[in-house]
Amino acid sequence: MWGYIARRLLQTIPVVLGATLLIYAMVFLQPGDPIVALFGEKPVSETARAQIEAQYHLDQPFIVQWLLFLKGAMVGDFGLSYSGQPVSDLIARALPVTFQLAFMALVIEAVLGVIAGFYAGLRRGKIFDSTMLVVSLIVIAIPIFVLGFTMQLVFGVQLGWVPPTVGGNVTFTNLVLPAVVLGLVSFAYVLRLTRTSVIENLGADHVRTALAHGVPRTQVNRRHVLRNSMIPVVTYLGADLGTLMGGAVVTEGIFNINGIGNLAYQAILRGENPTVVSVVTVMVLIYVVMSLLVDLLYAALDPRIRYV
Amino acid sequence: MPAPLLTIRDLHIAFTSDKKEVPAVNGVDLTIYAGQTVAIVGESGSGKSTTAHAIIDLLPGTGHVTSGSIEFQGNDLTKADDATMESIRGSKIGLVPQDPMSNLNPLYKVGSQVKEVVEVNDIADPGEADARVIELLEEAGLNNAAERAAQYPHEYSGGMRQRALIAAGLAARPELLIADEPTSALDVTVQRQILDHMNSLTDELGVALLLITHDLGLAAERADHLIVMYKGNVVESGPALEILQNPRHPYSKRLISSAPSLRSHRIAVEEREEVREAAETVAQEAEEAVAHPHVIRARDLTKEFPVRAGALGRKIGFTAVDSVSFDLERGTTSAIVGESGSGKSTVARMVLGLLEPTSGSVEFDGKNIAGLRTGAGQLDFRRRVQPVFQNPYASLDPMYPIFRSIEEPLVVHKVGSRSEREKKVRDLLDKVSLPAGVMSRYPNELSGGQRQRVAIARALALEPEVVVLDEAVSALDVLVQAQILGLLAELQADLGLSYLFITHDLAVVKQIADQVIVMEKGRVVEQSSAAGVFESPQEAYTRELLAAIPGAGIDLAS
Repeated sequence: MWGYIARRLLQTIPVVLGATLLIYAMVFLQPGDPIVALFGEKPVSETARAQIEAQYHLDQPFIVQWLLFLKGAMVGDFGLSYSGQPVSDLIARALPVTFQLAFMALVIEAVLGVIAGFYAGLRRGKIFDSTMLVVSLIVIAIPIFVLGFTMQLVFGVQLGWVPPTVGGNVTFTNLVLPAVVLGLVSFAYVLRLTRTSVIENLGADHVRTALAHGVPRTQVNRRHVLRNSMIPVVTYLGADLGTLMGGAVVTEGIFNINGIGNLAYQAILRGENPTVVSVVTVMVLIYVVMSLLVDLLYAALDPRIRYV
Repeated sequence: MPAPLLTIRDLHIAFTSDKKEVPAVNGVDLTIYAGQTVAIVGESGSGKSTTAHAIIDLLPGTGHVTSGSIEFQGNDLTKADDATMESIRGSKIGLVPQDPMSNLNPLYKVGSQVKEVVEVNDIADPGEADARVIELLEEAGLNNAAERAAQYPHEYSGGMRQRALIAAGLAARPELLIADEPTSALDVTVQRQILDHMNSLTDELGVALLLITHDLGLAAERADHLIVMYKGNVVESGPALEILQNPRHPYSKRLISSAPSLRSHRIAVEEREEVREAAETVAQEAEEAVAHPHVIRARDLTKEFPVRAGALGRKIGFTAVDSVSFDLERGTTSAIVGESGSGKSTVARMVLGLLEPTSGSVEFDGKNIAGLRTGAGQLDFRRRVQPVFQNPYASLDPMYPIFRSIEEPLVVHKVGSRSEREKKVRDLLDKVSLPAGVMSRYPNELSGGQRQRVAIARALALEPEVVVLDEAVSALDVLVQAQILGLLAELQADLGLSYLFITHDLAVVKQIADQVIVMEKGRVVEQSSAAGVFESPQEAYTRELLAAIPGAGIDLAS
């Protein structure tokens, strides 16, 4: 078990190396001169350009830039942003916000999706099931920014239940609406996945046998159908937390939340290599750790799986 | 006469498909008295399991009772509400299901699943439930029950799982136990132990038993009363021995004459002798120039598989096959017999050259097949040695029409032109008694028996000398099995084929084999002529396998 965890953690090294190299290459190939962008309307003096290039190693080939970045990252130094702040500070400020948002979205989609999917599966073909299938299809079909702006308009502006934007005021209640928007699409997938899985398990031989042994229907549904149906759902949810953190870019944009998505977006626009790559590195690490946790959770749910 | 425990009168069951009623059971009558054993016999699709599931109101999918009554202790179960059914299931009527692999929840410990049954049926005080679970598991014949109770189903063998399911089925001391093909998924020797144990338990507890089975020998051996079902109808019903010795309905007659367990001790030895002589003559004529009477010679075949073991995942060798030697004479059949895990299929795969032996060799026609792994040698070897596998559902490509499946080997080996190949395929289908019309159909449109015929036709396409049949009839119903075995014998006589026949079923072996090789745990324990094995088995293990053939001791008057 510990050997397995150690091996999995070692695997993150090539993943991080590959991901940062790819990002470095892509940002490097991005058209436009970041220094011109930095100066805006004003002309760029040659001395200033040389100084900035030297400071951010922009005069070096990108492979050297990448190696220099790795050297710093080893000791936790992600360098400075173009506005002079340490990138690690920026991430430390943005990450908790996004994490809270993604986690709330995950809880919302998991709880609602599993409950609705479970009942839809038990009442297959009935009115609740059909309604849920249509609702989930609509949610999957509509792009997230349409849903986001519509809900912002209805609940934030017209009804005024929640502030339309979050800004610097990150509280639990302010994040509820963005979290719902963020989790909505995954909710539809969780619902459908749970429903299919429940229907499949309802037909399992061991479920019929439990009924034949006199176990009441409700207990069979809870103990034998629901838990067995959770295995694929848990796998999906684990992978989804990573997607949610990445997918937060759009939601954070709509509700003006200063999270990691916004940070990455702004940095990409400005061609700020150190910030973009640092954010990506952190995200990759989170993703890898999450998928490891999911695999361990999987083993806890299913005794047939043992890691050696 | 006491009142019957269960009376089924004129029971009709149907499934709804596209708003249409598809009848599955048409008028079953059945009576079981307390403590009696009644068996329903029939092939798959005869409605025997459907009838059994209707009793406990657990029909799958859209199945429902359309008319008739199921009276249990005076109550009509077809009219009972859910709460009544819940109180009857488990506590009054128990179930031992068919496939022990799929009937335990893989996520819970076996003990906790038996405990659930104990708890919902209020059998023991809450504090004593755990102790009761262990008692029940012990009673069902599970050794080290206390430790075993804390294990998960995947840590159990099939036989152990079935014992746990018997423990759960009998936990509440029901008055009726429905056993739905309780042992058909198990090895023969285990089958016998489990059935013996279940019988002695039901006798001891005075539980009536409704045994559902496709095996007539087994039913006759265990039941007082026999009901033969065919296509949803009861075709014959009466005392077991009477039906067996004096069947009236043509279907029962066919069933009795084809059941391998019953048939095998009557089949004419001369018949087999004729087949072999014919086959040997054909084989010699075809291969006059060849000086190798032994078409296959296996010498000290050994196969080790690496298995991960220990905390550090160190690999150790597991010997699946341990120095196995045998010869296959031209035009004869050698059967390799053993239980699952005996290594018999591994031997087959090494003979086919699909698996490389760790040591030892296989000679085909005097040449070591290790040297035939590439190029023209391999192509030639593959042409002359063909396989037929166990599962005809999985061994045909579902996306290929039958014609293409049979034609494929001809295309690969560049035999003939397109029109010649089509003629050949027609010819082959004719040989295996299938109409040419199946050429354009797909595997899912054929029955299991038809598919196995297609698989045999495909194997014969290249006019091989050796056919390796790995459990080729195990998945088929008895009547179909008998047809396929007959077909194989015919083809052998006509074409001079040599068969290597892999099976776990000694009853089948008796009908087809000239030489028998008995394997246990990777080793050959006995090897001799078929007559020798059946009439004077030398090894205890062989005798055990023979004794496990159900119904072998029943005297058939005819």
